[in-house]
Amino acid sequence: MGVLTMGVFPGLVGSGCYDFALKLAGAAADKGHVVNIWFSGNATVSVKAHQKHLKDYSTGEKYLVELMEKGVEVCTCEACTVSRGIQKTESIAKIQWNAMHWYLSKIHCSDRVLQIGGE
Amino acid sequence: MKLGVFVSDYKVTVETLDRMKGENLGIVLVQNGVYHAVLKEGGKESALLGKTPRLYALSEDLQTRGLSPEQVDKRVKIVDYSGLVDVIFNDFEKVAWL
Amino acid sequence: MADVKCAFIVQRPQYKGETSRLALTHALSYQTVEVLLEDGDTVTPSLCFVGEGLLGISKGQNAMAPYGINSSEMHAKNCLLVDLDVYVCKEDMERFGITENQLPDADDMGAEKKINIVPFAQIEKIMEEAKHVLFF
Repeated sequence: MGVLTMGVFPGLVGSGCYDFALKLAGAAADKGHVVNIWFSGNATVSVKAHQKHLKDYSTGEKYLVELMEKGVEVCTCEACTVSRGIQKTESIAKIQWNAMHWYLSKIHCSDRVLQIGGE
Repeated sequence: MKLGVFVSDYKVTVETLDRMKGENLGIVLVQNGVYHAVLKEGGKESALLGKTPRLYALSEDLQTRGLSPEQVDKRVKIVDYSGLVDVIFNDFEKVAWL
Repeated sequence: MADVKCAFIVQRPQYKGETSRLALTHALSYQTVEVLLEDGDTVTPSLCFVGEGLLGISKGQNAMAPYGINSSEMHAKNCLLVDLDVYVCKEDMERFGITENQLPDADDMGAEKKINIVPFAQIEKIMEEAKHVLFF
């Protein structure tokens, strides 16, 4: 089994790329791969807890919780997150907060890296 | 280098991809990129289809857009998310999202 | 002990989107990644500007006055200061009419590295030699 690390930059709402990343992470974890997700840029907004899933909008929270239950490591860029007015106390539980070197450290031990840049 | 390139747009230009040599390249069509596998603008297929023989399209993104497998160019292999994971690990040495 | 080489390819222009700036700041973080790795392990990004991506590193930027943010030029200079290898596509410079003296250096900061102007073929080689390729 391999290690897949994804850098996810697009926002939760308004970009299907975010949904793609979470679906791919789930599929890889289901197959027994180790998966790491790094949120940067607008994707960091998705770590805020208590998201209401309205069907016209993508949602992150319930999928992120499921992914972490499967062992997927999820980390948000602290600087990107606080710059958007979200504090650690408001975060979905078990999401890690760290600096950009977290992403590079996961890249170091990865077999594949998929960097999904923002639009 | 066996690089798998993810293409997620149709009209937005992927200039970098145009410049990359095709021999070691694969193309994975996701999101709006799946239109490359289906549309023939003015009767002409997407130039991406001639770039490499290693072409994939994500079934969930075809389905989302109302595109049936029968509409997809025969050179394109349709994979679901689970199949895409295998493509990432088995068919390429590295992957990149343009 | 292993060094993992990564090619960071910046293909989008700066400022309207955040992605290309994040390429520079993520590359800069290679300096501190060792705190999370085993002794001797390193990650080495090569920063390559292609297409419209190279529009954002010209000299003379001032994003602080109008928008209160650091300029991409400053980030590029910091990359040179911390000894990152920075490459700019020669063909794209010619295409956009950008000359070598329009590219920044970080001599005033004491940097030894300079921006390398190289043909696209060499950037492809960097991608080939890297373990991972990240587009921004």
